[in-house]
Amino acid sequence: MEDELFEQRTDLSKLNTAVEQIKATIAKIIVGQHSSIDLLIAGILADGHILIEGVPGVAKTLTAKLIAKSIEAKYSRIQFTPDLMPSDILGTSVFNPKTADFEFKHGPIFGNIILIDEINRAPAKTQSALFEVMEERQLTIDGKTYKMEEPFTVLATQNPVEHEGTYRLPEAQLDRFIFKIEIQYPSLDEEIAIITRQHQHKTTDQLKDITPVLSGGEIVALRQQVLGLHVDEKLLIYVAKIIHETRNNKSLYLGGSPRASLAIVNSAKAIAAIKGRDFITPDDVIYVAAPVLRHRIMLTPEKEMEGVTPDDVIAQLIQKIEVPR
Amino acid sequence: MLKLFTITAALMLTFLLLSTAFAVSKKQPAKIKPDTSKVQVKIFNAQAIAKFKADKDFKYNGNSPDRISVWEVFWNWLWNAISNFFNRIPFGGTIVKYFFLALAAALLIFVIFKSLGIDAIRILRGEAQKINVPYSESLENIHEINFDDEIEKAAAQHNYRLAVRLQYLKCLKQLSDNNLIHWQIDKTNAAYLYELKDPEQKHIFGLLTRQFEYAWYGNFLIDKQAFTSINELFQNFKNRLP
Repeated sequence: MEDELFEQRTDLSKLNTAVEQIKATIAKIIVGQHSSIDLLIAGILADGHILIEGVPGVAKTLTAKLIAKSIEAKYSRIQFTPDLMPSDILGTSVFNPKTADFEFKHGPIFGNIILIDEINRAPAKTQSALFEVMEERQLTIDGKTYKMEEPFTVLATQNPVEHEGTYRLPEAQLDRFIFKIEIQYPSLDEEIAIITRQHQHKTTDQLKDITPVLSGGEIVALRQQVLGLHVDEKLLIYVAKIIHETRNNKSLYLGGSPRASLAIVNSAKAIAAIKGRDFITPDDVIYVAAPVLRHRIMLTPEKEMEGVTPDDVIAQLIQKIEVPR
Repeated sequence: MLKLFTITAALMLTFLLLSTAFAVSKKQPAKIKPDTSKVQVKIFNAQAIAKFKADKDFKYNGNSPDRISVWEVFWNWLWNAISNFFNRIPFGGTIVKYFFLALAAALLIFVIFKSLGIDAIRILRGEAQKINVPYSESLENIHEINFDDEIEKAAAQHNYRLAVRLQYLKCLKQLSDNNLIHWQIDKTNAAYLYELKDPEQKHIFGLLTRQFEYAWYGNFLIDKQAFTSINELFQNFKNRLP
């Protein structure tokens, strides 16, 4: 009946087909993790960088690699280590004896889909090399600015900060990730399915049969479509109230930034598009609130000692705000 | 050896005396030149001197304030009283000095904070600044709205979007009155849908929710015909409630 009453203003069929194809590709190898995969796709459609966190062995890197392989674009992988230097990521000027001049040698950051594995194994000096490129999609080296080619998305994986040999990422860098997706342990049924599917694998390269379902250009076009979706003013105020509450909440030492507000709106649009709507609802906002905010907010030391998690605080503060209706 | 030393010393002394005498004998006597420059004698202005002499500010001997006002008397008395009080206390003068210094510093900080618009008390309490976000459509209490009147009014004004919204709120009230949902301001439509247990109610309420969301959040245009169709759906749902 709703189809008779409300004719779709935006044709989202191509987007929905692409999303289903990506999901099907990932499901060939990954068992479960449906919510995380939805968020990964939403993050890419919202033109954001994504941080994936989980204990070792829960297929963080594999999921990120599958997403990257599903898109036909220049893919780079950087393994972060404690001795990695900024020039190892960005590139450096090298003297060419033939031309008697310095030439810029591009680093692995010059790509479309960049997988940074174990991002929190490198210290703050190396992390800060990513600030400009992640936010402004450009690099300035030796006074020259290099624009990144679109699409440009960083998919980073990390172990929880409590683990050995890890550094906490700088707040400025965390704020540049649209989502922090937490990969949980699989359920018992999923664990059985993983073992059943994997124990007879004879090859280590599981990704060789994966074929891309979208080109880089198509991703850019879909992003433009997503960013153009309708957001009612009531919902903009609702998002602003949520972010404002993070700044006034007594359990929090650091609240959300305006970048977080934009991240909620843009990612809620992507979720709405995945669900086949060209407008967002409060449910979309609530769905993305935790992944957008959990790495941006900081708990007070007392709350950390009490064992309260950022997700608990986010759930509590959302309960204080009336849903626009 | 001693003889040789004596002779050498005598020769040197003789040479020294002779050279001094020669130098003195060559010096000319100094000639004093008379100063022939003209000196202009300056005389003070008699009138100005008379004026200064007449000015009481320049009369220093035995002058005391002519009159002291009552206000000055009061302040003199106050300061004397304070001074006497603190003089009786050991280190009283030092206490007064530091008290007023602290007071002046606090006053200065207060003026700076006020001029910069900073709320010092809020900072001391560790609270963030609160800003009231305007929200014109703050949630009404659904139990206090006369829905039938309001829906009729909105439909008469051709404001079908608002009419659909009111229909939906009315529907939530009916569900709440029948204890099928637990009404709370922070719950979304999906949360209410999840609370419904009866599959048929769930299905129709799902349809109504979609209509409401398309109209209210999606800003889709609703004409009279569409409103009539949605209204029928609402009536249908109402009839299925216990």
